[in-house]
Amino acid sequence: MIVYDKQILNNTALVDEANTLYKGGFISKEQKKFIKKELPVFKSQDNILVRIGFFLLGSLLFGSICGAISVLGISAEHIFEEICCYIFAAVGFVGAELSAKQNFHNHGLDDAFILGALLNIGFAIGITTEGYEMVIAFFVAAGALFMFLRYLHLLSMLMFCLAVTAFLFYGMFEFGYIGKTILPFTAMIFAAVFYFITKKFINNLKESYYYNGLLLANSFCLVLFYLSCNYLVVRELSEELLGTEVEPGKDIPFAYFFYGFTFIVPIVYLVQALKVKDRIMLWISFLAIAFSIYTVRFYYAVLPIEVALTLGGLVLFAVAYFSIKRLKEKESGLTFKPDRINHSDAILNAEALLVASTFGMKPEVKPQASPMEFGGGGFSGGGSDGSF
Amino acid sequence: MKKFDEQSTLSLYEKGLITENQFEEVKAYRSLNIFSVNAELKFFLYLSVLLFTSGIGILIYENIDTIGHIAILSILLLIIAVCFYYCFKNSKGFQKEETTFEHPVLEYLVLLANILTCIFIGYLQFQYKPFGEHYGLATLVPTVVSFFCAYYFDNKSVLIIAVTGLAAYIGLSVTPQDLLNGNDFYASESLSYSAVMLGVLLIVWTIYSNRISLKTHFSLIFLTFALHIISIAVISNLLHHYILIWLIFAGVLIGSTFYFYKVSYEFKAMSIYVFMIVYGYVGINILIFRIFENVDFSNIWELFIFLLPAYFIGSIIMFIKLIKNFHKEIAE
Repeated sequence: MIVYDKQILNNTALVDEANTLYKGGFISKEQKKFIKKELPVFKSQDNILVRIGFFLLGSLLFGSICGAISVLGISAEHIFEEICCYIFAAVGFVGAELSAKQNFHNHGLDDAFILGALLNIGFAIGITTEGYEMVIAFFVAAGALFMFLRYLHLLSMLMFCLAVTAFLFYGMFEFGYIGKTILPFTAMIFAAVFYFITKKFINNLKESYYYNGLLLANSFCLVLFYLSCNYLVVRELSEELLGTEVEPGKDIPFAYFFYGFTFIVPIVYLVQALKVKDRIMLWISFLAIAFSIYTVRFYYAVLPIEVALTLGGLVLFAVAYFSIKRLKEKESGLTFKPDRINHSDAILNAEALLVASTFGMKPEVKPQASPMEFGGGGFSGGGSDGSF
Repeated sequence: MKKFDEQSTLSLYEKGLITENQFEEVKAYRSLNIFSVNAELKFFLYLSVLLFTSGIGILIYENIDTIGHIAILSILLLIIAVCFYYCFKNSKGFQKEETTFEHPVLEYLVLLANILTCIFIGYLQFQYKPFGEHYGLATLVPTVVSFFCAYYFDNKSVLIIAVTGLAAYIGLSVTPQDLLNGNDFYASESLSYSAVMLGVLLIVWTIYSNRISLKTHFSLIFLTFALHIISIAVISNLLHHYILIWLIFAGVLIGSTFYFYKVSYEFKAMSIYVFMIVYGYVGINILIFRIFENVDFSNIWELFIFLLPAYFIGSIIMFIKLIKNFHKEIAE
């Protein structure tokens, strides 16, 4: 099923490993260079900026090819509008196949064709079925799964997860009122079942090719599981879908269950992540905790925002400070010492951009507008509280 | 994942690409089962500074007329003094090279103290106007303080604040979101000239500090700011309706592209290289458009649509070549 040469795939894994060993200081630079020279690998771009650049260029190319086809087809009158998206999707498939044959993998160009093909499948089915969401979701999911299995394309796996979830949701809508009512529980059970299925797959995996994709699906299940019964999500969705108004003094059915769920699940994630040393789950738990706090604040503003922020800052500082103090000297297991093998410096690099965008000083040449804006972005930080 | 990583190491060893010693060392290290939360905890520290200062900022803004000003000012001053006291006590003093604190928390204390100082001065100016109508001075003072902290404590985050402050002094907003909007430059031409001048100033300062080997690891930050400020100012002016002005800016763009091309090789900086190419490409496309804008193509527009894929394929091939060259060069 995999279009790529197995030998090159194995080589890629080895070169990646050599890179991490070099960064960890286990092997010398000459050795790394030698390994790189010995083992031919794919044309891929590790730098995310370059990859995005090539993705944009690839999209322009894809778009221009579709434009050229449209110029030819426009004379074919009405029928062209019906089938144009199928043709574009075919262009995407051909492009993906060609770039894979040229050994492009995770390069940006292949991303453009693969995602373009998936998008056009969605449009094509949408035009044919006049916007029947469930069928669209089904075909997009099928296409995305194919793309993942054939081209080992991670973003396709994400598309697949999203499309399957959409399929489930629209499928439940078919059952009308009952379907919409039990939707949170269905989604929760669905996520839990698939979490254990993907986990099992990962454990039984003989070769590493599909590992990353399965891991992505696995993490997606964690997120979906948390969101499915989060109080905020359930309440807003039930207002949206069922049209029920929650009157003051009343609450949604099973409110206690949803509240408990909102708080217990992130903590379970956190404990479990630290226990099994799972970094992805750790990050999901952090985000889940933040979202749980947001959920409460959304309905009950216990403290005014400025006090909440200040106190939150203090508490977070204390947590980080004491954790560092406790973990600083530990040599194995959970520790504060940087890992030689698995770096997660990327977030620390992102910090610089965050500093610039939140605390950057602004000119006050327009004093009539607001002289408050200068001298520290602390004043403008208030708008972003939702994202914490 | 661990399972597969170990497999890879083993097969590297079996192929004779790493020595037995190295293999054993890696195996021993893996068996320590290290799970480092270094980055996570540092990020928490950073986030706590962000939350705390935002909270303080809003607190002051909302209560500017209610609580006693003196009370707020003195509390702020007290926190700043405590933070700076700890920082100075634990710092190794000024050094020309890269330095770090013994304790990672101090790095974030510097950031906190610095942001609070900026808020303090801003509040002071708003309420008591010690600088009178010289609003520029109220920006310049925090900038100077930030530059001092950045160089003394070797703190990159503070340096970024300082550079944005410097830009704010000449009337530019260089926070990423504002640069992307680029509205400032449409508003006035003179601002574009100042932006280019600021960029040049940053470049000159980088060259000078490299010569006297003063904090050479700051160079990348200065150059990144310079690249984005100059390029965005120039590109937004390429659409100017006076032919002379856009020609001047086109010249500036060619010059800056050439300079950053050289400099990215020198610093082996992929991020500068990529953005240099992107800005150059956008600039060239605008130039082509400007040159042909007065020619009437209405009869042969279909030809263009067929030429476009070829044009993009050509561009892609060119980019692949450029990136490949760069990789080859920095691997040396």
